[in-house]
Amino acid sequence: MHGKDRRGIWFVIPFLVAFLLFMVAPLGYAIYTSLYTTKIIGGTAFSGAANYTQTLHAGDFWSGVARVIIFAAIQIPVMLAIAFFFATIFDLGVVKYGRLFRTIFFIPFAVPAVVGAVMWTFLLEPQFGPFTHAASAIGFHGVNFFSSSLVFPSIIVIVIWEWTGYNMVILYTALRSVPRDVVEAAILDHAPLWKIILRVKLPMVRPAIVLLVFLNTIGALQLFTEPLILSYFEPQAISASYTPTLYIYNTAIGGGEYNLAAAAAVVLGVVIVAISVGSLIFRRRKGQLA
Amino acid sequence: MSAFPVSRRAQARRERRRCEQLEEEARAIPVKLYGLRRGTVTGLTALSMLFAIFTLVPIAWIVINSTKTQANIFESPGFWFARPFEFFRNFSLLFQNVDGYGTYFRWFLNTAVYALAGGIGATALAAFAGYGFARYAFRGSRALFYLVIAALLVPITAITLPLYLTYAKVHLINSIWGMILPSMVSPVGVYLMKVFVEVSVPRELLDAARIDGAGEIRIFFRLALPLMVPGLMTVLLLSIVGVWNNYFLPLIIFSQNQLYPLTVGLGLWSQRAQNSGNAELFPLVVVGGLVTIIPLIALFLVLQRYWRSGLLLGSLAN
Repeated sequence: MHGKDRRGIWFVIPFLVAFLLFMVAPLGYAIYTSLYTTKIIGGTAFSGAANYTQTLHAGDFWSGVARVIIFAAIQIPVMLAIAFFFATIFDLGVVKYGRLFRTIFFIPFAVPAVVGAVMWTFLLEPQFGPFTHAASAIGFHGVNFFSSSLVFPSIIVIVIWEWTGYNMVILYTALRSVPRDVVEAAILDHAPLWKIILRVKLPMVRPAIVLLVFLNTIGALQLFTEPLILSYFEPQAISASYTPTLYIYNTAIGGGEYNLAAAAAVVLGVVIVAISVGSLIFRRRKGQLA
Repeated sequence: MSAFPVSRRAQARRERRRCEQLEEEARAIPVKLYGLRRGTVTGLTALSMLFAIFTLVPIAWIVINSTKTQANIFESPGFWFARPFEFFRNFSLLFQNVDGYGTYFRWFLNTAVYALAGGIGATALAAFAGYGFARYAFRGSRALFYLVIAALLVPITAITLPLYLTYAKVHLINSIWGMILPSMVSPVGVYLMKVFVEVSVPRELLDAARIDGAGEIRIFFRLALPLMVPGLMTVLLLSIVGVWNNYFLPLIIFSQNQLYPLTVGLGLWSQRAQNSGNAELFPLVVVGGLVTIIPLIALFLVLQRYWRSGLLLGSLAN
């Protein structure tokens, strides 16, 4: 090791200090807290796995976990398909005003989830919402986008609206870096366009797609802001444990059961790590087989 | 200053944009080579138009409805203007403490402070760390880097809630530092900066400077940093947006409304609008939402050149 290499640690230390203080330490504290129980009489006492047992048996926590997994399984493929479709046609240059469209599609990324959810709540509002009016104008009378059967697809639409453009721009930049001669060779071989897209371009941007699946999954499993804002306007549409993060929030802030909430946060963390790492391993194995 | 240098700069900017466009065209393969049927371009453009409409519908709605009274927000057609035109009255509400729960303008300033301080801090820390990870092989550097990447997996919930519990112990509840300091920790930023340094700061250049006797700090600031500007801009933008849009952390660590950022304030008003029957609150939420999104959209449009090239980094993952 060279002397200069050892000096490199000084560049990393400022970040590491902040990282330890504001990420690693809180995580450690969450685990610590989750092992204790606070009672009104008797104060705080070590309770071992009691909070975990309670979390593992909390049906409403797990129904929330199931809901966000289904949410991720629907929302992410649909969004990535749309994003890849537009990224491809913009990259090919087979669309007029592609630059303008790219800019427009990206706009929702700059809109806070709170404002996005507020706007969509107004648009979908069961009595006055323009979309409700539009639905009844084309024959669907009395549609309630916030009814128990439609609120879930409505949230999917909201999240797709928020994130498609961002994913599209990343896929677009990845597609741009596919070397031109590879595509030209395929054209000279008279490969049809769809084949060029799926057999030449798609495999070359696979790393970007894997990264996006990974990041979107982590985000989707923590779904929180959109359902919470919806619940402000339509309290009956969203239960207090609609998603695991809402469950944790309501257990801690609403119910004051911080130890239990900490245990639920740790369990959710484990679920998220398991799913995202699991999907990575699965992909890698599939890649080796191919 | 005279108008002369300004117009010259504008001219240079036009020139640069033209060059970029030419470059882009030169890189693109002519459409006719794909052997597409006639009408394909029109069809695909129409599809793009449809998705653009879907994207712009909520924005159009919020622009139009920021000009309406509460009654008209609900009763007039959502996508057309209605009399009376109340935009300026609604806008003036942003400077008043309408229902005793806080003033929008105050929250706007808070958000700007949190976003700028958090964003600049995150970018600085990420620039140092990314450079350190990319260009030095000190003991444990790989393991440390993987630890930082692993942090991407940790749900915000698992960190935010314990942050709140810890803050209660060290008096950071209702302190702006409780918001700003954690916002400075950006594992994604470190990752992006590392990749960016690997691609755009040549090792040979640094070694040459070392042979000339330059110190490590000097090399970083004088040689590496200027080459890292596009990456820095990307990380800065992403961090600013991250803090500007953050809801969960400020929601639980602030109980005094004069400390709220916009997201928490607007969330509170949404709740109060539904429950309190105050006739000003719905217009306030709408115009407040509009004013919240304008600065960020403007920032992105103005700085497009930078983050476009920087986002490429995301696709370089391997």
